[in-house]
Amino acid sequence: MDSWVIAMMLGVSIFLGSIALVAFLWGIKSGQFDDEQKFLNAVKFDTQEDLNDAVDQEKKAKELKKKNYTPE
Amino acid sequence: MSHKVGCTHCHLEFNENVMIVDGEHYFCCKGCQGIYHLLKDEGLDSFYNKAGDTKLTPPTQQYEDSSNFNSPAFYDKFVSINNEGFSDVSLIIEGIHCSACVWLNEKALHKMAGVMSVNINYTNNKAKIVWDDSVLKLSSIIDMIRAIGYNAFPYDASLQEVRANKERQDYYLRMAVAIFASMNVMWIAVAQYAGYFTGITQDVKTILNIAEGVLATPVLFYSGWIFYRGAYYGIKTKTVNMDILVATGSTLTYMYSIYITAFERGEAYFDSVTMIITFVLIGKFLEVLSKKSVADTLDIMSNHVPSSIKVVEEGKIIEKNINDVKVLDIIVVCSGERVALDGTVLEGEGNFDESNLTGESEPLYKQIGDKIISGTVSIDAQIKYEATKDFAHSTLSNLVSLLEGAMSNKPRIQMMANKISEYFSAVILGFALITFLVWWFWPHSFERSFMVGISVIIIACPCALALATPVATLVGLGLASRRGILFKQAAQLETMAKATTLVVDKTGTITQGKPRVVQEHIYDGFDRSLLYSLVQNSKHPVAKGVGEFVYQEGINNFELQSVKQIPAQGISAEYMSKMIFGGNAKLMQNQGFNLSNSLDPKGSLRPNGTSHVSENSEFYFAFDGKIVAKYELFDTPKVDAKESIKAIQELGIEVIMLTGDHQKSASKVSEEVGIKIFESELTPEGKSLYIKKLHDAGKVVVMAGDGVNDILALALADIGISMGSGSDIAIDVSDVVLLNDTLTSLSDAFKISKRTYFMIKQNLALSLLYNAITIPLAMAGYIIPLLAAISMSFSSLLVVGNSLRIRAGFKK
Repeated sequence: MDSWVIAMMLGVSIFLGSIALVAFLWGIKSGQFDDEQKFLNAVKFDTQEDLNDAVDQEKKAKELKKKNYTPE
Repeated sequence: MSHKVGCTHCHLEFNENVMIVDGEHYFCCKGCQGIYHLLKDEGLDSFYNKAGDTKLTPPTQQYEDSSNFNSPAFYDKFVSINNEGFSDVSLIIEGIHCSACVWLNEKALHKMAGVMSVNINYTNNKAKIVWDDSVLKLSSIIDMIRAIGYNAFPYDASLQEVRANKERQDYYLRMAVAIFASMNVMWIAVAQYAGYFTGITQDVKTILNIAEGVLATPVLFYSGWIFYRGAYYGIKTKTVNMDILVATGSTLTYMYSIYITAFERGEAYFDSVTMIITFVLIGKFLEVLSKKSVADTLDIMSNHVPSSIKVVEEGKIIEKNINDVKVLDIIVVCSGERVALDGTVLEGEGNFDESNLTGESEPLYKQIGDKIISGTVSIDAQIKYEATKDFAHSTLSNLVSLLEGAMSNKPRIQMMANKISEYFSAVILGFALITFLVWWFWPHSFERSFMVGISVIIIACPCALALATPVATLVGLGLASRRGILFKQAAQLETMAKATTLVVDKTGTITQGKPRVVQEHIYDGFDRSLLYSLVQNSKHPVAKGVGEFVYQEGINNFELQSVKQIPAQGISAEYMSKMIFGGNAKLMQNQGFNLSNSLDPKGSLRPNGTSHVSENSEFYFAFDGKIVAKYELFDTPKVDAKESIKAIQELGIEVIMLTGDHQKSASKVSEEVGIKIFESELTPEGKSLYIKKLHDAGKVVVMAGDGVNDILALALADIGISMGSGSDIAIDVSDVVLLNDTLTSLSDAFKISKRTYFMIKQNLALSLLYNAITIPLAMAGYIIPLLAAISMSFSSLLVVGNSLRIRAGFKK
């Protein structure tokens, strides 16, 4: 009986840990840690306005992509 | 006088009366004012809150027309099309001082229609911009960057740099997995070991084994992939490298542990698998981390080449791309411009700054018929010249290609750890095989013999060996960087420790790099303020040196009339309708002054008055028809030069001085600082040839220099050391940078590298000694998993602890 408890706890904790690991790997892959200075400074520029700008920029990029794909 | 106020844009402070007043704001120049209003109109003025008090560069430079960024040739070279059909360019942005600058650039570019993404790296000011070329052109992007007060020039983000970054990222990923897994495996292993001594039921043991196995799998096959790859290349080239040992050891251990887990007997070694891979991977990563990329150097070098030049064609001046200019074309150079092609002067005269190529600070006077060299800068000359070589064959591009060659042919001294590990791996694999066979024929079960054989590999796992060099060098590098010595690559510490010869450049490295007054003779009728006013009109280093010397509190700066520069001689002016002259002996003679009278007590004057070949440069000052002062100037050695050179010589290193300067001043300097061997009047190639000669004689050469004229030699030497104040290219080419420019740090660099190398040797000896004790134990079959794990960690700790001892002896 008790051995199943051990197995379950090990499994759950390894699973939870690996979720954090995958998130971290994603962060490395998408270049979030490439520039440590900017990474640290990002805290300073985290206002509502900056967030809105980021969203606008994403929208703009999407539109440009769409435009590019439509045959002329 | 009025008080100082700061410019609203750049925050530089000037007197109130020279500022442009604009409402409640003050600006130092039109440029700053323009930017301020632009940012305000665009709604980007929160930049000033973000920037705080950071001082920015005012946008005073005039830039060439940006439209040539749109030329197809330019697009070919720098712009690439990504797979979504958008254009992609890498730029270096100049003038970034703070994170707010990065923010402003990104923001301003994001606002432009057609820009997809902008990513500016704060650390190296490199930007990657993706945009839609059908909406806007590259020139508009560059114009925008310039409009907000920065400048950008594209660079070729060559494969090398991209590859280096990719490799680093790859290691991060693999290490993250390995460290995550081994930390968790260690927790589970604690339970295993506790069970080993206090008793554990087989089903719990199996559960723990399975959990360890699950964690060890990605470590072996993902993180450990690097070792499989290394082993494959090792086998291909028929060398037994450390990768083979790590790969076979960990794979065999892994398979054996699966077998143990499945058949529920004995002890599994999954913790050893993860530990081996993790430790050795960290060691490898430390090495990769410190590899420098050659790519950056050549980017900056090509920035020194003007992209377009003015050519006279059919009586008109037109701008031409540098590659389109042919031999015999007539080129116009204005003052302040850089010469792009070699040629002969046809019209005009003036001074050229050749310090780029010769390292000497004195400008050279060129007139009709003289040769001019690419890479030099016109100081005051406005000339027309005929190209004698096209761009590809000019001195400057020759230098670039020579440099490329030198950087790739740099001699590499094989690292000691690599040498040892080659033998080590082969020996250990041999021992393991012998152990297995001996145990098997000495009647034991296959299983038992196999286990003992594997335990030899596990115990000999080169964790400590792999960490011995990287950790020691890392401590050495940290120690060095705290003293202003930056090693660009860890392995260079070892190379430097093996150095036999130090070659130093004179100007700017041993000496201050600018002449200082060493002797002053004052005669009747001398007026300090008048001399000061006169030398203010010249940019010549000698005049500057005199100006610095005579400056004192309350000195007056008179307004002089009809100031004239007499090329290669000096300056003349009028004050209260009396003539004043300041310059060398030749000027004085031409003006009819008699220098051979009692004015010169030593009578050291040479007939033709060519003052620049004497040990000291001379500067005469004449007022109202007679000479009233004479100064002798000399580029004096740095204060710590003598002491440091002596310290380096005491380490058993031969010191040689090379200079482009003439023999007399070279011998004076070398005598003063105690250098016995020197060579003078060397060209940049001459210096590199000298280094080559030393190489051929089997010496390991360290070269220290600061100028562009030293770069070939720096690139060619085993170790190139540049001064932090040296030219950008010299810093890029070299392997070590001395941030505080002192020669004390040069001798420190030698001491630290020797000490580090000594510790590396001690570390290697320690890890081999440890193996000499444990391997026989393993062969005799006395090793259990716990002992393997403990000894592995212990030996690694021992090596790390020993490395920290490098700091002892370098207090402060």
